[in-house]
Amino acid sequence: MNSLTGPMNAGLKRNSRLTPAARLGAHGAGPMDAGRNRNSGRTPAARLAPCGAGLLGAAILALLLSGPGIGQAASFSQIVDIVQPKMVKIYGAGGIQGLESYQSGFLISAEGHVLTVWSYVLDTDLVTVILDDGRKYQAELVGADPRLEIAVLKIEAQDLAHFSLNQAVPIQAGDRVLAFSNLYGVATGDEPSSVLHGNVAATTSLSARRGAFETTYRGNVYVLDAMTNNPGAAGGALTDRRGQLAGILGKELRNSLTNTWLNYAVPAAELVPAVDDILAGKVRPRGDDESARKPLDPVTLQALGIVLVPDVLSKTPPFIDRVIRETPADKAGLRADDLILFVNDRIASSCRAVRDELSYIDRIDEFRLTVQRGQELLDVVLHAER
Amino acid sequence: MKLRGLSPLPNRFRTMPLHRVWLRLVCCSLPLSFCLLPLLAGSAAADVQEDEERALKAAVEAVAPAVLRIETFGGLEKVDSVLVGTGPTTGLAVSEDGYILSSAFNFVQKPSSILVTLPSGKRATADIVARDESRMLVLLKVAADEKLLVPQAVPRDEMVVGQWSIAVGRTFELGQPNVSVGVLSATNRIWGKALQTDAKISPSNYGGPLVDIQGRVLGILVPLSPQRQGEVAGAEWYDSGIGFAVPLADVYAQLDKLKSGSDLKPGLLGVSLKRGDIYATPAEVAACPAKSPAYEAGLRVGDTIVEVNGKPVARQAQLRHALGPHYAGDQVQVVAERKGQRQEFVVTLAETIEPYERPFLGVLPNRDPPPEGGGVPVRFVFPGSPAAQAGIQAGDVLTALGDERLPDSRTLQDGIARLEPGNAAKLVRLRDGEPQDVTVALATVPSNVVDQLPPARGDLPLPDQRPAVGKVEIKLPEEKNEAFAWVPENYNPQVPYGLVVWLQSPQEYDFEKLAERWKSHCEAHDLILLAPKSADARRWLPTEVDIVRKLVDSLAVNYPLDPRRVVVGGYQAGGAMALLVAFGHRDLVRGVAVVDASLPRGGAVPDNDPIERLDYYVGLAAKSPQAARIRAGVEQLQKIKAPVTVTEMGDTVRDLNDEELSELARWVDSLDRI
Repeated sequence: MNSLTGPMNAGLKRNSRLTPAARLGAHGAGPMDAGRNRNSGRTPAARLAPCGAGLLGAAILALLLSGPGIGQAASFSQIVDIVQPKMVKIYGAGGIQGLESYQSGFLISAEGHVLTVWSYVLDTDLVTVILDDGRKYQAELVGADPRLEIAVLKIEAQDLAHFSLNQAVPIQAGDRVLAFSNLYGVATGDEPSSVLHGNVAATTSLSARRGAFETTYRGNVYVLDAMTNNPGAAGGALTDRRGQLAGILGKELRNSLTNTWLNYAVPAAELVPAVDDILAGKVRPRGDDESARKPLDPVTLQALGIVLVPDVLSKTPPFIDRVIRETPADKAGLRADDLILFVNDRIASSCRAVRDELSYIDRIDEFRLTVQRGQELLDVVLHAER
Repeated sequence: MKLRGLSPLPNRFRTMPLHRVWLRLVCCSLPLSFCLLPLLAGSAAADVQEDEERALKAAVEAVAPAVLRIETFGGLEKVDSVLVGTGPTTGLAVSEDGYILSSAFNFVQKPSSILVTLPSGKRATADIVARDESRMLVLLKVAADEKLLVPQAVPRDEMVVGQWSIAVGRTFELGQPNVSVGVLSATNRIWGKALQTDAKISPSNYGGPLVDIQGRVLGILVPLSPQRQGEVAGAEWYDSGIGFAVPLADVYAQLDKLKSGSDLKPGLLGVSLKRGDIYATPAEVAACPAKSPAYEAGLRVGDTIVEVNGKPVARQAQLRHALGPHYAGDQVQVVAERKGQRQEFVVTLAETIEPYERPFLGVLPNRDPPPEGGGVPVRFVFPGSPAAQAGIQAGDVLTALGDERLPDSRTLQDGIARLEPGNAAKLVRLRDGEPQDVTVALATVPSNVVDQLPPARGDLPLPDQRPAVGKVEIKLPEEKNEAFAWVPENYNPQVPYGLVVWLQSPQEYDFEKLAERWKSHCEAHDLILLAPKSADARRWLPTEVDIVRKLVDSLAVNYPLDPRRVVVGGYQAGGAMALLVAFGHRDLVRGVAVVDASLPRGGAVPDNDPIERLDYYVGLAAKSPQAARIRAGVEQLQKIKAPVTVTEMGDTVRDLNDEELSELARWVDSLDRI
């Protein structure tokens, strides 16, 4: 465990930035948080599956539950019964400064391997796992993948109900899903975890825009339309409507594009190689830091011959103030008053964003600027050294 | 339940995959599904959930080409303390030739450039053509030739609470719309302007459509709030299960007007209604200024509105519901009862109402019990006022205004309030028992405070039984705020007292000191002082506005108050809080006194109202960091013709000195001026 203390602390730090805001809600972080706060109040009550299913859904569900002789189509309640024994509650470090000392996880082998998220909760020698039936175990940390923010724990038990990661299913926008987790630590002992019902809102990549999400994970996620990602829910299981594993609920994450909280899960398929490596005892590489990918000698506005308008506001629109003669920008036909919109198809909506985007482009590489001139959109190919 | 289109299948079904037909039938008729389902169990249709899922996806697919991604560039970062997002937003195509509707929330940052990604994947620039300031929508026009696909709108009368409603946006991925599934929760929310859904509505789908199971559009998703106006109002309810959409059918009716570039504004009738609970009180017109649409259509003070566009109006809230969906320029049919007779009027709603300016006669009524046979004994005549010019003197008794007899000063105040500055008012004056007609030309309320006031009443003997005087604690059992009142030693319960609620800055709460300063004024002017303390020792919270109100109500149980002289005031933070209390409780507060405090930022100043009078007293130090904003606020108040008294306090920021405090006390004493 000692070898993990370093990176674990980093995790703790990241979370301590994130979580207090989540805890403070309306008081601490502006009115946009009020919705979140209300969700917080409401979510523990959302124990039953069909809460969001709509009248028709609920009516039909009721029929399915009561109707005799319906064999093949398993009802949500039957599915819940099948999934619950695979869920575990995890208790560890935390409990101070608004950091919860619990999270969720699920079994991925009959021998007691538990998949969960990698967080400060695991940053202690005493991690406790409680099974669905109330049995309590000390868990050992098998390994973690800091980039995917997942960890695998092991308890000494046999013949356990579990999900097979290899049999996980892909899901799409519009699909109905169930989310199992111990959000807010509502369940204790042998109480089953909480079930939420919703639909996949979208499948998207967290790296679509730089800095939009404060996480090292850069792959695809399922965005959900249920309030799945509340404190304690991280590490929970997302299943399709048949109870087949689809993903793992992620940590609380703010979407800075909309200033709202994101409800999401990481697709199980994204985790398979990492879990295999962890189980095989291989050390996974550190998370790749975005800034490490920056070139040593990036493109600058100066090198291009572009002078932007004075950057007075935090979101000053990137209008070109002047183009220096005989520079790459001049030769490419850029003019004063052009508004820069995209750098290599990445949106750059302020002077600051333009500078930031350019810092990822090597001076020796060609790249594309999209500018607006009047009502017209123009694409310009630039090269700093030509 | 109606079985729609069972035989023969309507065209829509023929083009539909079979499972959707089946589902459509189930949707049409739940009882049908009750009998069908057990029969179908085990057959191909056993997996109802799968069919539902497919139908939901098909609905999204059907509308998807009309759901467009919008990107904005530049602009503000924060609006009304809400951090504005920078991500893509959503719009809905509403006409082939490039018109797109979206939520005003998406453009609140006033971007310098707007781009729309068309179905072909091409980006095109767009401009805002017009805004709907009632439903918080914007209409964009893209500069491109590409034909857009226009979705079908669900007619209002086909919407049923409980039906599927799917929120669609295009913010996460360009190629795949994001969805949230729910049901229609209500069809007439926000004063009849919006639908409500429990699908998760947030910046990730504001501006996108709410669609039914067939992919037809129910409405455009927008944040809205029943209480507040503005682009970001209601955004605090994001993802909460309470989401709103403006019915597309309603918007289509106004589309040509929007396309022509005219903004749509909420329509105003131009009446003030009789005071009272809007859910219990009939809509009796208490004031109706001469230039208002209602007056021009023939409505008059005293009429009770009983019907609007055929909808009965028994209570004031129903009137608000009936008028809510209407825009400025709309004609509405109003039926009012006048002396038991129903009369019909056609009113053209206005965008703005000429601000009401209170007329001024120039008298202060005496506060002795009214004389035998009624009338208004004059306590004081303002020098230079219309009353002074007409020869009215202190001691005269005014007995009639026009043809109306005056039983008390309240009748005179209401009668004058109905007129306008410049109007002639005919009064009957009684002097030494001799009636005499006088005609005055009404002026406007003066901004200065008179130097001296005669006593408001004669000496009355104190009764044996009196409630406690001196320092009195006022405690609300449910709140932790402390509050003390100062009741003057000469308190006489037969006389209604004025009230000064003084809100001290939270760090400087000192009741004894405050009471010491006000004691003599309380005795001289029949005033009670109330000083609530903020619960948080560092600041006043906006939620405490209602606590202040409750404290006043609680005090009034034992000490009857003069409703014309209830004042809230304070210095700096206390003053800012006083304004919130005054604006939040117009029915209670008649004067607000602020020292070195400016009008709330971004908040609308309430209109000047003939019935719910609100006078302002502003203390201003030239070198205050707030000075510029305070002066701007005063100008704003003068523009809406509110009566404002400004006291220049020199350079340095400070609280009122003794001289200014006695001026303030005289101002409070003269708030019942007519």
